[in-house]
Amino acid sequence: MLLEVNNLNAGYGFLQILWDVSIEIDVGEFVCIVGPNGAGKSTTMKTIAGLITPSSGQILFKGEPIHGIGGHRVTRKGIAFVSEEMNLFTNMSVQENLLMGAYILDDKSLIQRRMNEIYDIFPRLGERKSQLAGTMSGGERKMLAIGRGLMSDPALLMVDEPSFGLAPQLTASVFDALETLVQGGLTILLVEQNVTKTLSVTHRGYVLENGRIGLAGKSADLACDPHVRKVFLGV
Amino acid sequence: MSDRFIRWCRSAAGVTILLSILLAVIATIDRGPYILVNTAITGGMLALVAVGLALLLGVMNVASFVHGEYFMIGTLVAYYVFTPLQNFLNTNPSPLLAMVAPLIAILAAAVAGAAAGALTEIMVFAPMRRRSRENWVMNSFLLTVGLAVLLINGHLLIFGADFKGIVRYWAGAPVTIMDVFISRDRLFAFLLSIIVILAFWVFMKTTRTGRAIRAVSQDETGSLMVGINLSAILIFTMALGCSLAAVAGASLLFLYPSYPTVGLEALYMAWFIVILVGLGNIIGALTGGFMVALLKVLTVEYIGSGWDFVVPTALIILVLIFKPSGIFGSEVRGVLDQ
Repeated sequence: MLLEVNNLNAGYGFLQILWDVSIEIDVGEFVCIVGPNGAGKSTTMKTIAGLITPSSGQILFKGEPIHGIGGHRVTRKGIAFVSEEMNLFTNMSVQENLLMGAYILDDKSLIQRRMNEIYDIFPRLGERKSQLAGTMSGGERKMLAIGRGLMSDPALLMVDEPSFGLAPQLTASVFDALETLVQGGLTILLVEQNVTKTLSVTHRGYVLENGRIGLAGKSADLACDPHVRKVFLGV
Repeated sequence: MSDRFIRWCRSAAGVTILLSILLAVIATIDRGPYILVNTAITGGMLALVAVGLALLLGVMNVASFVHGEYFMIGTLVAYYVFTPLQNFLNTNPSPLLAMVAPLIAILAAAVAGAAAGALTEIMVFAPMRRRSRENWVMNSFLLTVGLAVLLINGHLLIFGADFKGIVRYWAGAPVTIMDVFISRDRLFAFLLSIIVILAFWVFMKTTRTGRAIRAVSQDETGSLMVGINLSAILIFTMALGCSLAAVAGASLLFLYPSYPTVGLEALYMAWFIVILVGLGNIIGALTGGFMVALLKVLTVEYIGSGWDFVVPTALIILVLIFKPSGIFGSEVRGVLDQ
């Protein structure tokens, strides 16, 4: 197992959001977490990324516990997190943002290679190397955020709501990019509101409701599940 | 390029900078080149203190009112390092040591300032950050005020209230530039400030750590996500900012003898600058240093030397009323949000 989350309880201050959440991800898998607003999807990701310290439970990455070690060390272990609000460095150029993404890497030639790869995946970024991140459109910023996450050469990429606030055709191109990355061998954990689309591209999925894992299984099976269809697809 | 230049000229920053340059030129033609020389010397040192303050605002979100005390620490350390060296030189003259003694004093002040800054972060801000980040801006501001009282009175208690000053760092005839006599100390202080500012600029723009500091100032969560060790960067930033203030204090020791509240003027001037250019705008603070210096010099020249605090203060009030984010715009969201 690449990532094992066991009985995770977490929240903000006295407000507990996650109740006994357990997730497993194997190398090369494309896994999603779906669920209604406020179910705790983003909290799950933030806790794995080390931005929230869980009150109890375990997060094992490549067999090592990573809960409570701090956000910057989680990144060094090989987990990249692309948050919903992106957290880009708005007064830095596209290129500088990507360089910051490679902050934990020392090898200059590797950094250059990664950067070229990202310009190949997102040609838009290559055209706008010197533009300030804060002045770009929502779709471009989303691409930059994913690109910055990829710069650190992660073993696991976590993407929170890549389609949030994007036009449909841009959403499609972001999903295409994620599928290409999985085909290239990357493991991805995806949180998304667009349930139909998500379940059609991912391998496996978890359904999170009220901070608890309700259902888990193959994405194709989840898409046919009567409960999922009723709650998310309105059929 | 020319398009961008025209747009820049029309922005608030462009207008102010061009207006300042115009003012400086007119005043120089009217009264003589010493206006320019005085502005450059005062401006360089003001910029050093203001940049440190802007760093603390931008990176740590701390509205520091203790920054002047690091200036004071700089003067104090430079005095206690330079005076024994001077006494030693009086009995054993050595041209080489006479050359480097001031540099040793300033270097010692820089190191002491950095150490004091790092200690402040480790002992004061870090514990508070761990406790709670609620109301951070107000709490940290109050902490800095308290720390200032503590340090000023600590100086009074241990070193007394006397003026601990030196006559000069470098002996020798003044240098003549553009028909203006400039003492060697002043010239050196100016050169030093330019060198430090340039080094600082290059550091922030090209090194990994410099980029990390800017990243933290723009998005703290984002910087954790790319693997930046936040607590280390905060300690380093505090050390760097305080060290710059201490260097300014040390190199101006011939002008400002060390006494408990010597840092207050530097603090007020630095605040004028960061409010003028926009809180936390590090690059703006460099330019702002020279603009406020020009304002001071012109006030002294045309209105009277008692007015050199009044005019900048009046300007700050106008800036706060009409352009509260400063003429260069602010990079700090946190301070403005709360």
